[in-house]
Amino acid sequence: MSQISRDQLMAYADGQLSPDERTAVEAYLVANADAAAEVALLQRQNDAIRTLFAPAGAENVPVRLKPQRLSAEIGRRRGQPWGWAAAAVVLLGLGLGAGWFARPLLDPNPASATLIADAVNAHAVYVAENRHAVEVGSDDSEHLSTWLSNRLDTTLGMPDLTAQGFSLVGGRLLPGEPDAGGRAAQLMYEDASQQRVTIYVTAALPDGKPAYQFASQDGAEAFYWANARITCTVVGTLPEAQMKAVAGAVYSQLTEGDVSSRPPYRG
Amino acid sequence: MDSFLDQLEACVPALRRYARALTRNVDLADDLVQDCLERAISRRGLFRPSGPVRAWLFTMLLNLHRNALRASRRRGESVDFHTIPEPSIPAPQPGHIALAEMARAIDLLPLEQKEALLLVTLEGLAYGEAAEILKIPQGTLMSRLGRARAALRTLTGTPAEPHLRTVK
Repeated sequence: MSQISRDQLMAYADGQLSPDERTAVEAYLVANADAAAEVALLQRQNDAIRTLFAPAGAENVPVRLKPQRLSAEIGRRRGQPWGWAAAAVVLLGLGLGAGWFARPLLDPNPASATLIADAVNAHAVYVAENRHAVEVGSDDSEHLSTWLSNRLDTTLGMPDLTAQGFSLVGGRLLPGEPDAGGRAAQLMYEDASQQRVTIYVTAALPDGKPAYQFASQDGAEAFYWANARITCTVVGTLPEAQMKAVAGAVYSQLTEGDVSSRPPYRG
Repeated sequence: MDSFLDQLEACVPALRRYARALTRNVDLADDLVQDCLERAISRRGLFRPSGPVRAWLFTMLLNLHRNALRASRRRGESVDFHTIPEPSIPAPQPGHIALAEMARAIDLLPLEQKEALLLVTLEGLAYGEAAEILKIPQGTLMSRLGRARAALRTLTGTPAEPHLRTVK
């Protein structure tokens, strides 16, 4: 072999070649001092990087990084109606009667976990988008509301979050869980510092029971609730107090027509 | 005995090492690894790959790291390189690259080059697995590695590269 590419030299230095290829490169290096110097430099870089950072891999692993323990903790959290107390605080803060809590969900509904995961995932995918964050922009909010309401088979107004400092960017239609109508709507809001929150709405689950849950997932906070008409998950990475204010506003606006005799919210 | 958790446990030292090199901060690195493990455990039924978990874990770790960087940039936080503690450096020997210089040079690399370089050099992963973790074609990985190393050469003041004929 008379010619060896730079990529092959790099692969040689990185130990990525088969024995035959290695032999060929070694023969070439004997006859090419420039190439040998190049390889030696790459190897020195590799050695320096390993010298710098390899020791961290030999340290004792702290207890908080033991998978067994993490798994037990996650199981414990899921086994309880966790987040329930916090949800109650928020909802009571909205001035709702405690009678509304007559049917707490003692077994967290696995459907809610799936919907929360879908909502968080959709949030992560689309908040990162600049030009294609939404399908229909807020300048056409009446059309957006009508279109999404028709697709979800329920009236969906656009919550107004101006008081929380957020304005509507727009919305999109997404495929959703078969149990919840097979479709989902995502509404996106943004504040002055370009922080975004999303609201993920589907048709009600078959049982139509009220349920509420807070969850932290993938670095985002999610507040989920379901009633006889819709399921809704508010997702964001804001500080907790701000998330609660936003979630509370969304909740009260989207359920206004459902839980009291006040006129339905008009978006 | 839970073989899934055992597989995770076997990957923890490598994840810590890699996260530490990416962040240059012990606490941040361990937070990143903890988030990654929690995510893996809570998604085990849903998204778990059929094969070994290592590549899947590294991909998650990288995504979490990128998200955290994006979030801190949005919050307007910036890291002053002078505040990053230098690792303890053995005295450089003749013919060796000064380690402090190398550490600083790696910090200055674009993130995508740094991610690729550390997967291959520090973790010793095959090009194919590194490309799979980064979700890029192997050719793209090779060119990132080439650019990273050329940049390190410049930043650490090692002599200019000898002229080599490249064969397509």
